[in-house]
Amino acid sequence: MPLLERDVLPVLTKNCMGCHGGLKKEGELDLRTVDAMKRGGESGSALVAGKLDASLLWQRVADDEMPPGETKLSADDKAALCGWIEAGLPTLVERQKEIADPLLPAGKTHQPREVARAIDRHVQRGLDEAGLEPAEPCNDAEFLRRVHLDLTGRVPTAKQAVAFLDSTDPEKRAKLVEELLDSTEFGEHLGRTWRDWICPPELPSDMNSGKQPHREAREFGRWLGDRFAAGDTWDEIVRTVLTVDGEIKDQPQVIFFGLVGQGGKATPDGTTQAVGSLFMGVQLQCAQCHDDPYRTWSQREHWAMAAFFGETRGDFKKIEEESGDDRGRIKIPRSAFRNAGSTVPAAFLAGEEHQSLGPLRREFVEWLTARENPWFARSFANRVWFQLFARGVVNPVDDLRDLNPPSHPGLLKLLENEFAASGFDVRHLLRCVCNSATYQRTSRLPDGAEAGRVQALTTAFGRVPLRMMTADQLYDSLKLAYHDEKLDLRGIDPKDGNTNGESAPVGDAYLEFLRRFEIDEEDATNFVHGIPQMLTLLNHPRLLERSRDFDEVLRQDESPEATIRRLYLATLSRRPSAEELADALAYVNESDDPADALVGVLWSLVNRSEFFFVR
Amino acid sequence: MVDRELSLSRRDWLRLSSAGLLTSASVPWFESLATAAAERRRPKNCILLWMDGGPSQQHTFDPKPTGEFRSVSTSVPGIEIVEQLPRLSQCMEHLAIVRSMSTEINDHYDAKYLLHTGYRRVTAFEHPAIGCIASHQNGRPGDDMPAFVTIDAGFDKGNGGRLYRSVPAYLGPQHAPLAVHDPADGLENLEHPRSDLDRRLALLDKGEARFARQYAVPAAEARRSAFERAVRLMRSSRSKAFDIEQESPATRDAYGAHAFGESCLLARRLVESGVSFVEIFHRGWDDHEGAAKRISVRAPWMDKGMSALILDLEQRGLLDDTLVVWMGEFGRSPGNGNGHFCRAWSTVWAGGGIRTGQVVGKTSVDGKNPGDRVVDRPVNAADFVATLCLALGIDVHQEFVGPGLRPMPLVEKAAKPIEELLG
Repeated sequence: MPLLERDVLPVLTKNCMGCHGGLKKEGELDLRTVDAMKRGGESGSALVAGKLDASLLWQRVADDEMPPGETKLSADDKAALCGWIEAGLPTLVERQKEIADPLLPAGKTHQPREVARAIDRHVQRGLDEAGLEPAEPCNDAEFLRRVHLDLTGRVPTAKQAVAFLDSTDPEKRAKLVEELLDSTEFGEHLGRTWRDWICPPELPSDMNSGKQPHREAREFGRWLGDRFAAGDTWDEIVRTVLTVDGEIKDQPQVIFFGLVGQGGKATPDGTTQAVGSLFMGVQLQCAQCHDDPYRTWSQREHWAMAAFFGETRGDFKKIEEESGDDRGRIKIPRSAFRNAGSTVPAAFLAGEEHQSLGPLRREFVEWLTARENPWFARSFANRVWFQLFARGVVNPVDDLRDLNPPSHPGLLKLLENEFAASGFDVRHLLRCVCNSATYQRTSRLPDGAEAGRVQALTTAFGRVPLRMMTADQLYDSLKLAYHDEKLDLRGIDPKDGNTNGESAPVGDAYLEFLRRFEIDEEDATNFVHGIPQMLTLLNHPRLLERSRDFDEVLRQDESPEATIRRLYLATLSRRPSAEELADALAYVNESDDPADALVGVLWSLVNRSEFFFVR
Repeated sequence: MVDRELSLSRRDWLRLSSAGLLTSASVPWFESLATAAAERRRPKNCILLWMDGGPSQQHTFDPKPTGEFRSVSTSVPGIEIVEQLPRLSQCMEHLAIVRSMSTEINDHYDAKYLLHTGYRRVTAFEHPAIGCIASHQNGRPGDDMPAFVTIDAGFDKGNGGRLYRSVPAYLGPQHAPLAVHDPADGLENLEHPRSDLDRRLALLDKGEARFARQYAVPAAEARRSAFERAVRLMRSSRSKAFDIEQESPATRDAYGAHAFGESCLLARRLVESGVSFVEIFHRGWDDHEGAAKRISVRAPWMDKGMSALILDLEQRGLLDDTLVVWMGEFGRSPGNGNGHFCRAWSTVWAGGGIRTGQVVGKTSVDGKNPGDRVVDRPVNAADFVATLCLALGIDVHQEFVGPGLRPMPLVEKAAKPIEELLG
C-alpha cells in the first residue's frame, strides 16, 4: 500500500512544494499537510480520498499540466500518487497508531532493566512486522569494546579488558555500564560529542583578522564534560548555557552564543536555530528568511522565538542581556528575504504570544525545560539513540515533525517519558539503553547475508551497525595503544619553520587530527576516509617507532607471546586466536630486531578494520 | 525494501531522488535561472595560483602611468604589465587579464571564503570550495591519484590572516584536498619508513581477510578499497608524480629554485598524472608597508615559475586541457598598495581553452587616485566562480540539497559568467 510519508511526500517535496508550500502558495494551494491538500486552493479541493477524478492534484499531474517546465513526474511517481489517492490517502502515522504505545506508563521512572525490556519489545515488534530475525547477542569482547567506545570514547586498556573478560560475574555487563557511567571519561566524551554538534569544523572568525577561538571552544567542551561527569541533569546544563551572563572567565559556556551566531557575535536568529536544532530537534533555519517551504514553521514563528534572544548581545568573550524600550519584540532584519522590517512579539514555538515579566532568556528556558515541553526530552532521547545506533528513531535528528515520523513511535515515546520522569537524568537514559538486548546484539553477519536484508535489519535496530570511530575515539584509542598522551601525527615537523602564525597551514596536533579524521556526522556507517587517512596510519613514522613509555611496558612482559597478547587486548579488546598468535610470533622471530618487530605487530593491529570500526 | 517502510529521512529521500542531485528545472525555487548557456563542456584540469594576503594589481598586471612600477609592452600589442615580470610579458598571448574584479569584502578570511566558494560566509551552513567542487564533478572515483591536491609554497611574511582551508561541505569529506606541505618533499607519508613493508602487510592481510568474511557491509568494503588504493599508490609508478626530483636539471632550472617554482612544477606533474585540481598557495602578500619593495623581491620567482608552467604545459600539449588562474582574495589600494582593496583588482587566466591574449574590464586612469574604481565590466565573486566552473566543464546550473532540504545551487543563480573568456 502506498503511504504518504514514504511514497508520496518525496514526490511532492521534489516537484511541487517549491510553488505550493511555505515559500509560495500559487493558486492558494499549500501541500504541506494532508488537511491543507484536502482544502485545496482557488480551483477547489486538491485531494479527495479514493476519488481520482475529483482530486485536482492528480488531474493536473496526470496530463502533465503540472509541474510547469520540462521535467514532468515519472511514471513511477505518478503511480505512487495515483495509488495513494485510490487507497484513501493512507499515512504511516495512522498505521503506526497501534504501535505508538510506550508500553510503560508515563510520569514515573522505572528500573533500568524494566525499561530495557520494554525497548526490546518495541524493537521486536518492528522486526516481527517486517518478518526479520534479530542478530545473535554479542560476545563479551564485542560488548566490552563497544560500550567503552560509546560511553568513554576510547577502547579499554589491556588491563580493563582482562578484568572484564575473565570475570565470571553474571552481572558483569550491567556493572561495567555502571562503572563507565561513573568515570570522568564518560563526561569528557559526551562533552566533546556535544561540542562537535554545536561547533562547525572550522569555527567562525571574529573580526580580529580571522582568529579562531579553538582553545575556548575546547574549553567549552571540557566544561560540558565536567557537567555530565558531575551528574548534572540535562535541563540544568541547558539552563546554565542559555542563561549565562558576563565574561567567559570561569564561564566557558559564554562562547556558545558566539559559536552559533554570525562572525563570532551573538545573533537572535543564530541562537534560535541552534536552540531549535540542538535542544528541540526542529529545523528553523529556512524560516529565518521566509515560511518554510516543506515544514509548517512560519517565518513569524522563527522570529517570535528569536525575540527571546533579541536582547542578548555579545561575542565569544562576553554575553549580556540589554533591555531596550521595546522589550520582547524583535524587528525582522533587512537581510531576510521576506517581511524585513516588520516587528514580531515573543512567542513560544507553536504557542501563544508571551507577556514577558523577567529576563527573556530565563523565561524561555523555563518553558523549554518544562517536563511537558513536547520537544526537549524527545530531542535528547533521539540523539542518544542516534549516537549508539548511527541512526535516530527520527532522522535527521533535528527534524521532528508530523510528516517525518519516527520508525518506532512507541520506543521514542518510552525513552522520552523515562528521560523526562527522571528529571532529565542523562545516565539513567543511557543505562536503560545500554542494558537492553537490542544494544547488546552482535554486529557480525551470518555467511551469505543478503545486502538488502542486512540494511533492513540495521534500520529496524535488529542488529548493531559497524560505525566509523569519530576522530576523538580514534585519537584517544591510538594514544592508549601507543602509551603516548601527546601522539602527534601531523605531516610536518612544527619546528621546521613552515608554521607561521595564523596563516599557517597546519594547526596543533589535536586540531589536525580532528580535521584529518573527520567522519560523516549524519551517518557514521558511511565510510568517508580516503588515501590521506590511509597513508597516515600506514606510514606515519610515529606509528612505527618505539618510545620510552612503550619500551617500559615491554619490559614488564615476560615473553614476546605475552606482549602480543597484551597488544591484542589493548587494541582489539580480545585475545589473539592460536593462529593469530602464531602468525605474529613468526613475524617477530623472523625480524632482526624483535623489539622493533613488536611495534610492527602493534602497527598491524591499529591498521586493521577491526580496530578502526566500532562494532 | 523493508527499511523504506520504517522511516523517511532526508538521507533516504536523497537516495530516492537520484543521488541527491536535482536538476534546476525540477526545483522551481526563487526566480528561474538566467538563461546562460548550460551545455556541458569537456572536463578540464585546473591549477590555481593563490597569492594569499592580496597581491597588488598595480605592481603586477594593472600598472598605471603614475604608479610605482613602470609598465612594459608585451607580446600582445596594446597590453602592458609591469616590467618586473619580463617572462610573463613575453607569453601574454597565453594570458587573459581580468582587471575589473569587484568583490565587496575587505577582510582576509571572509574574502578568501567568498573567492573560493562564490558565496558570502554564513553560519547556518558551509559552501563547498572550488577545488572540492572540481573533485566531485571532474574527479575519477576509485582512482589511485587524488582528485584535489593543495601545495604549500611557503611564505615570506607572516601576516595575511588565517589561511582558508578548502571545505567540501555537503559534497562529503571524500572531496577534501590532499595536502602537500613542501613541494620538495612531495606527499607526506607516501613512503613506508621501514624496509619490511611486505612482511608487515602480509601480517595485516591475514587479519583483514577474517574481518571481511564476518562483515560484508558497504563500510567495510569501502575501507578495504581505500586501503588498497593507498597501497597501490605507494607502489605505483604514478606516485612518482609527487617527486619533482624525477625532472631533469634543465626543467627544474626553468621553473626556478624557489618553492613557488617547485610547486608549479609539481602541479604540472600531478595534472599530467590525473589530478583534476591543484591549488598552490604562497603566503605573505599582505603588504601593509607598501607593495613595491616586497614585490620587487617576489617578482623574479613568480615570473619564472608561472611562465615556465604555462610554456611547459603548452609544449606538452596540456595547456588546452589545463586552466591556470593567478589571484588572491582581493587586490591592494591604488598607489603604494598598503591597504586591502576589493573594489577594483585583477585576476589572470591562462590555458583551459579560454580566449587569451586579451584584457577584460578596465579600472580608472583619471582622477586623484587612478585605479580606484572599475570603469568597465565589473566581475563579482559569483561571476568569477561561475566562469571558473564553466571553463572546467562543470554545469553551473546544478542544485544540491543542503541542511534542512535547502536547495543549494552550485553557483549563485544571478551570476553572469565572463563570456569574453569562455567564447
